[in-house]
Amino acid sequence: MPDIRPFCMPKWGIEMTEGTLAEWKLEEGSAFSRGQLLCLIETAKITNEVEAEWDGVLARVLVPAGGDAQPVGALLAVLAEPGTSAAEIDAFIAAFRPAEASAAARGGAAPAAAPAPAAQAPAPQPPVTKPLLTNRAISPEARKLAEATGLDIEPITGPGRDGRITLQDVQQALRAPAIPALHGTLAVVEEDAKVFASPLARRLAAQHGISLVGVKGSGPRGRIAKADVLALIPAPAAPAPFALVPNPPVVAPFDRVRKVVAQRLTQAKQQIPHFYLRSSARLDELLALRKTANLVLGSKATINDYLVRATALALAQHPDVNVQVHGESVHRFAHADIAIAVASPKGLVTPIVRQADRQPIAAIATATRALIDKAQAGKLAFEDMDGGTFSISNLGMFGVEEFAAIINPPQAAILAVGAAARTPCELPGGGVGFETRLALTLSVDHRAIDGAAGAAFLATLKDLLETPERLFA
Amino acid sequence: MQLSREALLNAYRAMKTIREFEERLHVEIQTGEIAGFTHLYCGQEAVAVGVCAHLGTQDRIVSTHRGHGHCLAKGCDVEGMMKEIWGSREGLCKGKGGSMHIADADKGMLGANGIVGAGAPIAVGAALASRADGPGPDGLNVAIAFSGDGACNQGTTFEAMNLAVVTQAPCIFVFENNHYSEHTGFSYAVGTAQDIASRAQAFGMKAWRADGTDFFAVHDTMREVLAHVRAGGGPVAVEFDTERFFGHFEGDPQRYRGPGELDRIRAERDCLKRFRAAVTAAGLLDHAEIDTLDTEVLDAIEAAVAAARAAARPTAEDVLADVYISY
Amino acid sequence: MTKMMYRDAVLSTIMEEMARDPDVVVLGEDVVGGMGTAGGPEAIGGIWSTSTGLYDRFGPTRVIDTPISESAIIGAAAGLALSGKRPVAELMFADFIGVCLDQLWNQIAKFRYMFGGKTRCPAVIRMAYGAGFNAAAQHSQSVHQILTGMPGLKVVMPATPADVKGLLRTAIRDDDPVIFLEHKALYATSGEVPDDPDFMIPFGHARLTRAGGDVTIVSTGLLLGMCEAAADRLAAEGIGCDVIDLRTTSPLDEEAILDSVEVTGRLIVVDEAPPRCGLAADLRALVAEKAFSSLKAPPLQVTPPHTPIPFARELESAYLPSIDKIEDAVRRVLAWR
Repeated sequence: MPDIRPFCMPKWGIEMTEGTLAEWKLEEGSAFSRGQLLCLIETAKITNEVEAEWDGVLARVLVPAGGDAQPVGALLAVLAEPGTSAAEIDAFIAAFRPAEASAAARGGAAPAAAPAPAAQAPAPQPPVTKPLLTNRAISPEARKLAEATGLDIEPITGPGRDGRITLQDVQQALRAPAIPALHGTLAVVEEDAKVFASPLARRLAAQHGISLVGVKGSGPRGRIAKADVLALIPAPAAPAPFALVPNPPVVAPFDRVRKVVAQRLTQAKQQIPHFYLRSSARLDELLALRKTANLVLGSKATINDYLVRATALALAQHPDVNVQVHGESVHRFAHADIAIAVASPKGLVTPIVRQADRQPIAAIATATRALIDKAQAGKLAFEDMDGGTFSISNLGMFGVEEFAAIINPPQAAILAVGAAARTPCELPGGGVGFETRLALTLSVDHRAIDGAAGAAFLATLKDLLETPERLFA
Repeated sequence: MQLSREALLNAYRAMKTIREFEERLHVEIQTGEIAGFTHLYCGQEAVAVGVCAHLGTQDRIVSTHRGHGHCLAKGCDVEGMMKEIWGSREGLCKGKGGSMHIADADKGMLGANGIVGAGAPIAVGAALASRADGPGPDGLNVAIAFSGDGACNQGTTFEAMNLAVVTQAPCIFVFENNHYSEHTGFSYAVGTAQDIASRAQAFGMKAWRADGTDFFAVHDTMREVLAHVRAGGGPVAVEFDTERFFGHFEGDPQRYRGPGELDRIRAERDCLKRFRAAVTAAGLLDHAEIDTLDTEVLDAIEAAVAAARAAARPTAEDVLADVYISY
Repeated sequence: MTKMMYRDAVLSTIMEEMARDPDVVVLGEDVVGGMGTAGGPEAIGGIWSTSTGLYDRFGPTRVIDTPISESAIIGAAAGLALSGKRPVAELMFADFIGVCLDQLWNQIAKFRYMFGGKTRCPAVIRMAYGAGFNAAAQHSQSVHQILTGMPGLKVVMPATPADVKGLLRTAIRDDDPVIFLEHKALYATSGEVPDDPDFMIPFGHARLTRAGGDVTIVSTGLLLGMCEAAADRLAAEGIGCDVIDLRTTSPLDEEAILDSVEVTGRLIVVDEAPPRCGLAADLRALVAEKAFSSLKAPPLQVTPPHTPIPFARELESAYLPSIDKIEDAVRRVLAWR
């Protein structure tokens, strides 16, 4: 195979979405050498010179100078080694799929159909599209796009009659997997039987501490609408003078669970010489993998389930961390029983996922779900919580960036997990991008585990999280 | 004949009003000024008037698609009805109902009905309301289901008759047998039954038959019927043999009629002619005072048509009104 | 508050309203049950136990046990209502609207409009609806999509005993005709019900039962509980769902749906009726028209397929929406690229 390379609209900086080819510095068919000026590209901010990165031939110009702006990733030209045939170039163009979502959104390799620029250039070949050989029902436009992009349509579940595939399905398949920004749950504002307001109005009123009793609604059927509440929100210009109000404590004696928690944690914090190891793991691969796994395999595993699995595998590799301390002896275990901290109506409880290093993700997810359900129903049995070789406490869902947890004796270590955060990072080729990082803090009992052992365990855990396909091993 | 002069004059005026109302509509419809379907009651006037002459406003009636006569006999306003048929917003139903959907609850007229056979169960409900209220000084209020020989074949009518018997509701099923259900003859459509009254009897209720073109026969029968029902005797049926002078609907070519049939029934079975002949022969009223009444009625109809022509038209905003009381 | 079953909320509300207002009457097949038998009146007391004891207390003129004659029942309710009563008629199974549709559709729904606003028809028609008991194609259906499409009717679908209490009282006191749909599978469910003898819930006010910023799930009746269960499962992963109980499909609380979709940008309608020309299609069209710019993914519906309701247990459960199907739909709208 000859060396054929796409020349695409580059992306300079995170804000750049498109650029305009201002000028080609050599003609189609010309040879160039590394470092030679190929073209000028204008963005909203600057005009950049683009140099060749290798020695080759400008085999085919797809976007002439001075035309419309092209999305980042759009195919501008094809570069090839000398002697490459036109048919090979055509085949390359037909099979080309842009890497950037923004180009795909404009209809795949749209510039492939652009007219050849130079009059003296050989007559443009129609793009060679691979005919779609399939028995699947597919709409004409969907077929065109699938053929133009070479997409394998067989995995698509068509929503139409007899599984007919539409243009929308092909477009979806061509786009990068979505990672929606989630807002999560909110508190339900209980309905007052005497007040009829839209849910949004109730939420607003609750946020601003406004009582809706007696408020006249302007919405349909006399309902109190958002606008009615907004009208009641006091203007910020006139702050009420500050006055102290009575603030007596509400006395609540410890219940049984709280007494146990208080006693054990006090003992732990006072008697165990804690030290703390902080690290963080890049989570992008895991998030993408989980999304795919959940969608494709129908799995329901949460990030926490993956954490449990990764921790258990790391513990299996580092049995000197997978320990309990009893008096002056250390008990080592071959398999990891992971206690997970769960907030229940009765307070903090720590049910245990048994031998998590021997269970696949799906089984961990099922077991964890069952334990959380039991915890929330207040139905955990003693054997659900007895023992455990290691604990995980995850406050990420509350947006906590990082924290250090107290060891749960007789265990000798606990992992505190914060929220996944988008963090700037240096890209492999230089420049700045963003990645998702998860803050990890390991609390360690120095009586049983030394710093190096803890650090080695943490490094393995980080490694597992960053190469998550190993979690399926 | 035990009727007072005044009662006779009222009865004649009522029948004549229905007759002229319908005859005038028959003419006006051909001008294209009136929209929709219209079914005329001409020929059956003695039934509506002979029945309703016994009723108070607390007695309720449920009518049919051929309902103008029942509405007028129960006291609905002539001008209000004419305006309704013209589709005016001043009409009895603000132009929302038209010919087939005229009602006036204040007069005990619960509604004409475009669905053949739909009225009988509603009348039973009205009768059950009277039963729950219990008898007044004159006995129970009654509910009357006017039905034709077409509706007597609907399952709803059978269900209603059975429910009325089961609950002993003070309901009267008045069947006006004009021999045609739409364009189909009675002898074909009513199967093995020779008459409707015997079919009603099979449901376990008393039933009467009378000549519906003879006002006095209707009136006398209904006196007996109402005494029975008001006293708590339960539901009954009455079949009146009558005639339809026009087609099923206006525009019906009536190809099903026999030769000379329309002329014959107009000559021999016209309840107005029979009434006039009877009262003049008995010396109760003379031709001159009946002629005077005729003129009064024609003038009233003329005035009603003029008012309907001049009445305000509904607007597009009126479309949205009166679907619900509150929504 | 008193804890009671859904069916007891129906019965107690009728009982209280009959005691309060002598114009309230009840009629239907077997609402007394046992008439004309050796067992005598109240031998059954209504097959759903929603009329037990009414006959003994209020007698035969106000508690009317009818033959199996649905047209006559609904027609009589119409006549009673036009004559000043407040009838509460019972159709034993909602599927039976097939034999009395004329009375619902051409009569009760249209009186007020046809007669130019001159009449009042304060009839309540109660019906037991819904699948889940392997009652097959003619005794399991959800008929609200047919009735909601009829101007002139109001359609109520309570999901909890408290809503039965508040909405049925509103229905009985309402001056318009009201279809009151009771889900068979909810009759034996329990919940806290306010004791206030005038506790009423106005029509057209939806209830937000779960709040979250990511997906809006709209439902009614039995399926509401499944939506809540799915939302609770998803909450553990940080996915927040607004779960909206419509309570009434006519009038429709359009604003509650649009307010929510403007925040979430994603809509799933979960309905027990078949997919075509129904509530789910209607609400998705509403959102497509009025909140198009807020949408981040196509609005989805979770409904049974376009088939009659099958009998066998395996078939019926495959036919009906489920927590898993709802959860899957949430994931699909979130995965939209």
